[in-house]
Amino acid sequence: MVTSPASRLRWVTLVYRVPRTPSTPRIAIWRRLRALGVAQLGDGVVALPEDARTREHLEWVAEQVLEAGGTALLFRAEAMSRDDERVMAHAMASARAEEYRDLTARANVALAVPSSDQARVLKRLRRDLRTVQRRDYFPPPERDQAVAAINALASALLAADAGAGADRSLAEEFS
Amino acid sequence: MRWATRAGLHIDRASSAWLIRRFIDPDAVFVFVSGPEEVPADATPFDMRGVEFGHHGSDCTFETLLRRHDLLDPALWRIAAIVHEADLEDDRYDAPEAPGLDVILRGLSMTQDDETVLALTGPVFDGLYDYYQRSLLLGKEPPS
Repeated sequence: MVTSPASRLRWVTLVYRVPRTPSTPRIAIWRRLRALGVAQLGDGVVALPEDARTREHLEWVAEQVLEAGGTALLFRAEAMSRDDERVMAHAMASARAEEYRDLTARANVALAVPSSDQARVLKRLRRDLRTVQRRDYFPPPERDQAVAAINALASALLAADAGAGADRSLAEEFS
Repeated sequence: MRWATRAGLHIDRASSAWLIRRFIDPDAVFVFVSGPEEVPADATPFDMRGVEFGHHGSDCTFETLLRRHDLLDPALWRIAAIVHEADLEDDRYDAPEAPGLDVILRGLSMTQDDETVLALTGPVFDGLYDYYQRSLLLGKEPPS
């Protein structure tokens, strides 16, 4: 692993405060940050690894905070030590890992209990997988497991469809 | 009239520029800047922090432009749903087209300069507009 300081990540960091009331804008801001998958560094301090997209997203959140009557400051930050950087990345990766594990479990349940519902479950799982992947900056191994479980469900569904072609009513009786 | 926005066009700026030229100011000329301090005095900024035509509340710039200009056309609001989801990804709308359009714009902005992105995406949004107009022919209300 490269350890030169030059390879250290840059983080867009938002330091913000939103008035407690009214709660609607405060909750909207919280939801937005959660959807972005930010690293929560402290009370009112969040960060994302910097790229054009994350920078722009946090700029708009900062704007949203100001509109809600709060205060917001944006910084570009760099961890002083490689260890601190890893702590941040690990925290983000383990939050995503939990979400991927949930997807894997749901896919396995759907695979084990065939039902006429499977196609709908698959659609939903693929959608949720995309949502998690969008906010996944440091993919954990659980990501591949979730993708594999969802693909297995898709294959099973495809096979069932092919088999059901000849006699759909019979296939449904056995499912 | 001159309009200024940040360089590095993505979906919200590209679609907003299209909207401005087609529905708000047919003579619009676009200037691309790197920050608010570079906006020419005679230009109207859009999709930048702290300006009227930017994100407001949970609206993206395209939606803000529609609201501030009282554009209620349902086909435009259908495009707004796609732009919103491609830009903010918050599931406010059901817009399955969004991820597709998003990667097309990302690819273009990697390989083309801003002027070219505008020239190429104009006909895309024209096409989407006509397409949704046809599909909405039988009348639907725009989201409030």
